[in-house]
Amino acid sequence: MKKILLTLLLASPLAWAEQDHANMHDHSHEGHLHDTMVDGKNLDVSAERFDAFMNELTNVNVAVVSVKGMVCDFCARGIAKTFEKDKTVQKIDVDLDNGKVLIAYSKSKDINYSEIEKKILSNGQSMSDLQILEI
Amino acid sequence: MGMYKIIILVFLMVFNADARPISYSGGTTIMYKSDTFNDSIYLHYSPTYKYSIGLERVKNKFYKNTENYFRFTYLVNRKNTDISQRNLYFQSGVLVDDAAGFFYGMHGDWETRRWFSGFGYKDTKNTFGQDYTDQYIQLGVAPYVGDYGDLHTWIMIKTKKNSLTNTQSTYPELKFFKGPTLVKFGYSDKTEWDLHLMYRF
Repeated sequence: MKKILLTLLLASPLAWAEQDHANMHDHSHEGHLHDTMVDGKNLDVSAERFDAFMNELTNVNVAVVSVKGMVCDFCARGIAKTFEKDKTVQKIDVDLDNGKVLIAYSKSKDINYSEIEKKILSNGQSMSDLQILEI
Repeated sequence: MGMYKIIILVFLMVFNADARPISYSGGTTIMYKSDTFNDSIYLHYSPTYKYSIGLERVKNKFYKNTENYFRFTYLVNRKNTDISQRNLYFQSGVLVDDAAGFFYGMHGDWETRRWFSGFGYKDTKNTFGQDYTDQYIQLGVAPYVGDYGDLHTWIMIKTKKNSLTNTQSTYPELKFFKGPTLVKFGYSDKTEWDLHLMYRF
């Protein structure tokens, strides 16, 4: 019984720490970004790219949009122009290699899956996934 | 009214109706093309990614005259995947001052970040001289894969045929684009320079 209690006592801080970390949103640590999100999905954005994107940005939430059919600079330019019309968008970056669009929204913006999907569709591409990082 | 014109009008009406719900207001594009047969300047506006409307002024070097076309291009089919995009377009134009002169055709492409293939077919009904067709096939490879905003380069090979001049030529082309600007040129002994400049704003 003592062994069981001892084990529980030792294990509980670890469990708390693990849970605490799991509750945190994805974030960059000294130049690297966690590769795996809390939901188990891979972010597929390089740490350097993400940190460069986040440079000088504060008080934002970031939408990482996976886009199908974004094979050229011209297609990506159309997407960027579409999102730039939204005043709550602080910054946009396009990662053509990984088919991702990073959009930094003001904290006040309620990031909406269908709204982003519609904007991608209106530009002629399709959205396959959306990840939201609360910074 | 000829059968061709009826078909084109039906296409225009059906496609416009289909495209109307789409709200993306796109850009304006200006193009300059020059080859052994034509010099043209073409301005078009895309209310949505589905279609564009525009005006083209064409200097026909064969007949030594100048024509102005109202143009309409419609995206018939697009397939997006993680690594590629495939498109099929319907293209059409009608002379501004004489509806008896018009053209229609299809062109398509399949593209990844590294590879490109495309084709085109255009049938022109003249108000003077002979009717004619233009056809081409094009293949390309990007020697390096650039990031967003970089200078992008394509090395291509194109085969084109014109029924009026009865010439077929195959020649290499280079395509560069950066931001809103595209420059493409090719050269063959038979048809000489093929130049294409484009700017989107």
